[in-house]
Amino acid sequence: MIDLHERVSERKNFFNRLLLIYIFFTFLFGFIVFRTYTLQVSSFSDYEIAALKNKTREMLVQPKRGIIYDRHGEIIVNNAPSYNLIIQPSFEINLDLLFEDMGSYISFSNDEIKYAYDNFSKKASLNRELVLKQELTKEEIARFEVRSHRYENVFIAERFSRENLYPKLFAHSIGYIGSLNNEDLETILVEQSLQPKETIFNYSNGYIEGKTGIEKIYDKSLRGVFGKRIYEVDATGKLLNLVEEISPIKGKDLKTSLDLESQKTAFLEMKERRGAVVAVELATGAIVTYLSSPSFSVNKIANGLSQEEFKKLISDKDKPFFDRAVQGRYSPASTIKPAIGLFGIEKGIIDWDYTINDPGFFVLPEDNRVYRGWKKGGHGNINLNDAIIESSNTFFFSLAYESDIDDLTEHLAKFGFGRNVCNDCFLPDSGLLPNPRWKMNTHNFGWFKGDTVNLGVGQGYLSATPIQLAYYSALLANKGSINKLSFVQDYSDPIKDIIKTNNINVTDWNNIHQSMIGVIDHPKGTAGRLRSLKDYTIAAKSGTVELVSTETKEDYKVIRENEGNRDHAIIIAFGPMPNPKYAVSVVIENGESGGSVAGPVAIAVMNTLVKND
Amino acid sequence: MIKKFSNIFRNGVYIDQYLFISITLLSITGLIFLYSASQGNIETIIKQSFFVFFGLILMFAVSQPDPDFYKNNALLFLLISIFLVLLTLLTGKEINGAKRWLNLGFFTLQTSEIIKITLPVFLAAYLFDKPLPISLKNTFLTLLLIFFIVNLIRIQPDLGTSLVILIAGLYILFLAGLSWRFIGISFGLFILSLPYIWNNLLEPFQKQRILTLLDPNADPYGSGWNITQSKIAIGSGGLQGKGYQQGSQAHLDFLPEAETDFIFSVIAEEFGFFGVCVLLLVFCFILFRCLYLALNARDRFCRLTIGGLSLLFLSTIFINLAMVVGIIPVVGMPLPFISKGGSSLLSFYIAFGIIISMATHKKLMRR
Repeated sequence: MIDLHERVSERKNFFNRLLLIYIFFTFLFGFIVFRTYTLQVSSFSDYEIAALKNKTREMLVQPKRGIIYDRHGEIIVNNAPSYNLIIQPSFEINLDLLFEDMGSYISFSNDEIKYAYDNFSKKASLNRELVLKQELTKEEIARFEVRSHRYENVFIAERFSRENLYPKLFAHSIGYIGSLNNEDLETILVEQSLQPKETIFNYSNGYIEGKTGIEKIYDKSLRGVFGKRIYEVDATGKLLNLVEEISPIKGKDLKTSLDLESQKTAFLEMKERRGAVVAVELATGAIVTYLSSPSFSVNKIANGLSQEEFKKLISDKDKPFFDRAVQGRYSPASTIKPAIGLFGIEKGIIDWDYTINDPGFFVLPEDNRVYRGWKKGGHGNINLNDAIIESSNTFFFSLAYESDIDDLTEHLAKFGFGRNVCNDCFLPDSGLLPNPRWKMNTHNFGWFKGDTVNLGVGQGYLSATPIQLAYYSALLANKGSINKLSFVQDYSDPIKDIIKTNNINVTDWNNIHQSMIGVIDHPKGTAGRLRSLKDYTIAAKSGTVELVSTETKEDYKVIRENEGNRDHAIIIAFGPMPNPKYAVSVVIENGESGGSVAGPVAIAVMNTLVKND
Repeated sequence: MIKKFSNIFRNGVYIDQYLFISITLLSITGLIFLYSASQGNIETIIKQSFFVFFGLILMFAVSQPDPDFYKNNALLFLLISIFLVLLTLLTGKEINGAKRWLNLGFFTLQTSEIIKITLPVFLAAYLFDKPLPISLKNTFLTLLLIFFIVNLIRIQPDLGTSLVILIAGLYILFLAGLSWRFIGISFGLFILSLPYIWNNLLEPFQKQRILTLLDPNADPYGSGWNITQSKIAIGSGGLQGKGYQQGSQAHLDFLPEAETDFIFSVIAEEFGFFGVCVLLLVFCFILFRCLYLALNARDRFCRLTIGGLSLLFLSTIFINLAMVVGIIPVVGMPLPFISKGGSSLLSFYIAFGIIISMATHKKLMRR
């Protein structure tokens, strides 16, 4: 036992120690209060936002893409509704019974059944929809509708797929859509100041974007703006209720200048042969016909192609994917002759009365090399008009011989050669307008006079795409001015190309038109066979692109055994004269004759365009 | 009639009305909080109400015997509770990898909650007549007992409760007059042994909790989830709170353990900083009443017991709040009288019953 004195000191000691602990804890609690104050008052707004973020989930709502029309308002690309069978797994649903019951009138594939079982519980826990089957047929919809009273929480809902109504006609011009890659999606969301990626889709195949053609070039205006739905969610992510909704904004509809009827004509006339047809409206520079042949079905590409089908398309030796209209490089051949003639006028090398004797060949004075024409024995005494009608090579060989190569290339560039002539084409090629500097750089060879002479008849290094030829044709028709070509006309600011000349006047342009009318209508014209195909006047210039150089017709007969060696057929045309409205270019690979093979296609397209005006 | 009744009170009934009323109020408020935290789970509330009702009766009953009853039987109570803890280790119900519960059929008892009370009472009974300062022999004997029991709880594993028991034991030792020199030396040794404790005594998940505390954002969806969500709940409550049953963190299941360890976060979210302050004031009132009672207790044994048990209460509150606001790692620790859970609730009613007994019985000599 302890004594009284000790007891007093013990008591004092106890007081002090207990008090010490209380004081210690007072500080600790002070700190907790301070900490709570910091959380609840100082950083309140941060935590308020965090709590809000926790309990809400933003979901994007996919906008519908704009519809694409032709110039008469015919729908070319549409959003086709497809109907999906959907269930709400968060409600009590017995999948076994459901499949057993519905299986009697709707056929489910094993993949569909597996998908349903695999995803059922997850979708149920998150309160999401589960798609049992996509793209129901009309019969399936009808069969379901009459029985729908038997099922709760099973319904049919609309989803869309992008559908080109003429999938083969507009494969290259309109192009196709495909799934949007993540980087592009991020860019788009940033542009539309959105963040989350979880999306309620309107399209069965999810995120889509234009991949080629007009779908790609005008993707931004076609795609629209994502909407938003804000849901309240619990910690597991289960959707509880809709808090806020902002509807998506549908993409802008797009009216193009493409003309459905002439496109059909071009497609039928080309008969899947390799080549291209481009027609433009002169007043606006609008592309009305645009076909690269052979074509492929864009809908199959957009909505999923089997591996086998894809391989077949890729390995097809006719290269259907290749857009010949803007990427195919062809020598313009004799179609260049009107431009060369105009160059002679402009530089004063020749006039319309200037005459030469054409013996059927041209000898280069420097090395006595012989350049032949297409007609044995030649065309006799001819001027520029005759030379265009009869397509004399000798006339243009000697004209080119007299020309300065730099002046000549400068002149040809004005006609669209060697540059992009289209405002909204997908991946256009510029063709090739050669000059001495280019030849030195690529071939490490100096420029020969013979190169200039070859240029005079559109052979040699010079190459152009069908759309450049159409542009060139339109410039000739419009007497030196044309809007830059386009599928969609923005009239607020058209880019007009005007050729500046010193010595070419209206008479010269009219004379060129007359010569080109003569190509068809003159008895000696190279495209006389086209005369009967139309009932109005058309100006034209045909060309035949030599792929293998031969001395005689016998030699050509030998090499033409191989189809790939045959000459390309090419024609440019415009009409109806004297006030032309359309210009057209047609290239048919290995078609052999510009006048009689490419020509009928050009005339048919022109006929359709003129008739439908 | 009323006079007659109050006479009975004065003569035969031992009660401290301040503690009784404040604890009753706190318990009822706790039920209201729990109703919201459990998202209106009636079953939980009925069960908890039963515990509160039974607990208040138990508190009243426990406060009737004379302190000598506890002093004389302290060893017996301790031995019984050690037996129960050992029994738990052998036959206990395993939940989430921890063996803490003894199935009594109608009730699963968390035995560590019992020893949490009996150990301080025993230590007070053992030390109250020892001369000052406490001899080294007694100090070591006491420490040995404390560490033995703490270790029994730690291996369940129940870090939170073992920590509280350790602290409660050390309080008694400290209040009983442990020499300052010994305190200084052992504190130095403790600091030196920290690396050993870290490497050998802590379970990996316990280490993870400590690391999480240091940087909860490093792993916000893993072990940092609880702290992060708790802080969001508290912080988003603001000054006035979101309103009763309006807390999105608790009601949309973002807040884990909202009914038990993190119920304070629910209160803070729904009643704001004002609500938190009111709650803390009630706790403070109880604690300062205990301080007053300890200082006026009839003898050393009563002083030590009141001091020890009230500090046990204080430490439990502190650990819970500090954990919830993210000052210390997450250890399982309920908020007394408010969190769901029978054992811990009952243990505090018993503790306060003993405190009231110690405070209200006058010295036998005076009678």
